[in-house]
Amino acid sequence: MHGQNYEEFILGVSGFLTAYYVFIAIMNAVAALYLWQSGRAKPLFRFPIVGFMVSTAHIWVIVTAIFLMLGAGATNGGASVLSLSTSTRDLIDSWMNPITYSLGTLGILSVVFVARKFFVKPIVAWSLLNLSLLFMGLSMTDMEFAAIVMKPDNVPIVAMIYLLGYFTWLGAYRAVQNDERIARGEQPLESLDNEKVLVWPDLVYTELICMIVVTAILLLWGVGLMAPLEEPASTVQTPNPSKAPWYFLGLQEMLVYYDPWMAGVVLPSLIVGGLMAIPFIDFNPKGNGYYTIAERKFAYCTFQFGFLVLWVTLIVMGTFLRGPNWNFFGFYETWDQHKVQALNNVDLSQYFWVNLLQMGRPKAPDGSSTAMTVVYIAVRESPGILLLLFYFVGGPPAMVIYNKFFRQLFLRMGFMRYMVLSNLILLMGLLPLKMVARWVVNLKYFISIPEYFLNF
Amino acid sequence: MSVEEVLAACRQQDGGGGGAVPEPPAPAAQAAPPPEPTAAASKPAASAAKPAASGKKPGAMSVADMLAAARGEVSDDAAAPKPAGKKPAAKPAAKTKAAAPAAEAKQPVGPKDTMSILAAARGAAKPGPISKAEAAARAKESPAPKKEKPTAPPMPAKPDYAKVAPAPAVDQAERRGFLVACAAIFAGTFFVTSSLAIGFSSLAVTSLLWVLGTARFMFPNILAEPPTVFTVGFPDEYAPGQVVTKFKAQFGVWIVRYEYEGQAQIYALESVCTHLGCTPNWLDGEQKFKCPCHGTGYYKDGINFEGPAPRPLERFAIRVADDGQLEVDKSRKFKEEVGQWADLASYVSV
Repeated sequence: MHGQNYEEFILGVSGFLTAYYVFIAIMNAVAALYLWQSGRAKPLFRFPIVGFMVSTAHIWVIVTAIFLMLGAGATNGGASVLSLSTSTRDLIDSWMNPITYSLGTLGILSVVFVARKFFVKPIVAWSLLNLSLLFMGLSMTDMEFAAIVMKPDNVPIVAMIYLLGYFTWLGAYRAVQNDERIARGEQPLESLDNEKVLVWPDLVYTELICMIVVTAILLLWGVGLMAPLEEPASTVQTPNPSKAPWYFLGLQEMLVYYDPWMAGVVLPSLIVGGLMAIPFIDFNPKGNGYYTIAERKFAYCTFQFGFLVLWVTLIVMGTFLRGPNWNFFGFYETWDQHKVQALNNVDLSQYFWVNLLQMGRPKAPDGSSTAMTVVYIAVRESPGILLLLFYFVGGPPAMVIYNKFFRQLFLRMGFMRYMVLSNLILLMGLLPLKMVARWVVNLKYFISIPEYFLNF
Repeated sequence: MSVEEVLAACRQQDGGGGGAVPEPPAPAAQAAPPPEPTAAASKPAASAAKPAASGKKPGAMSVADMLAAARGEVSDDAAAPKPAGKKPAAKPAAKTKAAAPAAEAKQPVGPKDTMSILAAARGAAKPGPISKAEAAARAKESPAPKKEKPTAPPMPAKPDYAKVAPAPAVDQAERRGFLVACAAIFAGTFFVTSSLAIGFSSLAVTSLLWVLGTARFMFPNILAEPPTVFTVGFPDEYAPGQVVTKFKAQFGVWIVRYEYEGQAQIYALESVCTHLGCTPNWLDGEQKFKCPCHGTGYYKDGINFEGPAPRPLERFAIRVADDGQLEVDKSRKFKEEVGQWADLASYVSV
């Protein structure tokens, strides 16, 4: 991709874009055909004069035609026209920073969750899919965007985003259906379809087909995308940017905000341990064997927050928005090695002693004993230690006292389970809190004891 | 008919009837199926006892009372009607005492324990049950009860077909030779020449050769690594404020002429990020070291100021050698956070 001028790049990308748009057109055509043939097309409105009834199938036929025209336009040298305007791209870039990205994602997901009855409608979800694909297509004519998205490493991540969207939609769609049925006093859909099936042929055939499909995809993937090999490894030369495997990008992002032993050892262990503790914490029999959100709001939100916001969002951010020197770059921004980001991280103890109290940080006099040094360090870091103690010791009872929901949880779960749950939730909440604190006030560590490799 | 129903029927009968004559169940008890008479009503003795009990207690009789009464009636004796629940277990004991010798009748009447019941069953000296205190006393008197040792029947002889053929003498020698072989190996002697000794000896020799080979591997003839002590030119080759990156590729070190705490110095910074060990790059335009992995930034003096690294870069020892050149010693490191940068070996004053 690099080393090309824009004309060469457009020429190369137009062939891809044509196939891309035609693929979307075929997708919509199949959807329209399916709706029409199965009789599931919903009538939308009637043309006033002609009296022609427009249904969803007609809409998708029109969309098919639009994408076909886009494909035809792309192949005839119109790819450079079929792109977002420079001002739009600059606007998106200027709006992109860690805060807007993370909080924006959280906000969008919250809106989707609250208005899930609207967003899970097939027509809405399908429209959103089409819009996102169109956005991708229009963005592909940007060199920087294409360079990131078409990097062999990153293609599977793009596929993963769509797969994840599909499965999240599927779960929410069925949950919304079940919730409506339960509200009407009916049984969930899954309990109607509890007929037993045989291992042979039902399960084995399914597995065989899955095996063949996965093998085919892997073959195509291996043939189509070159292995992302780089220059020989060297102990004195680190690639810039140096990125973890995609599934660890969330971890790498965490490492930006925490000490290595914290983000690399303690927090991952807590993630694993917390997942293992779920059967111990969650003994609610509701939702066993059927999709539901309304009956399991807390569990659903906690999981989706931990997974979608704290893991997937960070993977996407690490893949597409982190560039050289681990700086933050917008979708269309050039990866400039020398981008200057004014970051001057300050420890909490520095904020407290120097900025607030206008005095030096407590420092043990030269030649004092080890015990005395430790005491001085404890005094120096007391603001952070007290803050975290307050958070972790005061948090669980405060939640019980001030929140009705947690009070009920406490009464139902008992002391031990509640403490495990509340501490895990507080720990999970500390990550975004720390990230926001880093972005907003350049906070480095709550507790910073580099003398003993203890930073939090 | 469940137990509850039976008990309810009994209670109803006793509380409601109150008559001295055994009579059919009270009206309330008729809910129970008639062909199954209650356990209490079916026993004439029980019905005889109950009026007495109910006469004292007009209210409902407790289950304990009823059970005590039933227990008492078995002995068909006048002691039964006395208020139950006080010492239900004492009654049968008192009963048997009448038959027991007079001396033992003085024994305090206590709760029967398992020991005494067993002793009674054994019937050694005293046929009747004894109290706990008595049992304890007796246990002291005769500490060792005679016990006949059970004699097991003699073992049947091993049939001929099950007998193992006597092992040849060579095998026995070999078997015993194991210990000898082990001893031989440890002693380093090879006088015992059995196959086992040879096998274990060669195993030991091979292991020893492996260990020696590994030890030899640790000290190669040619060391591909650059030397840990090397010279980096004369001090006056360095301009003030200059960061020399040409030694990074070979030695992993930056030579910097700058100042630290107001003092002009030349020092050697290790080009390893203190966060997770990536190699930062010197960005001349921004005058900082920047790590590509997580974005840590260091000032020219090596102090971390942005990103996650918890502490400053580390210095190597540097000195002016005898020939006037700067000499870096990578075997010694100096950490700022523990105040080692004040060490004279960590810099060269200019």
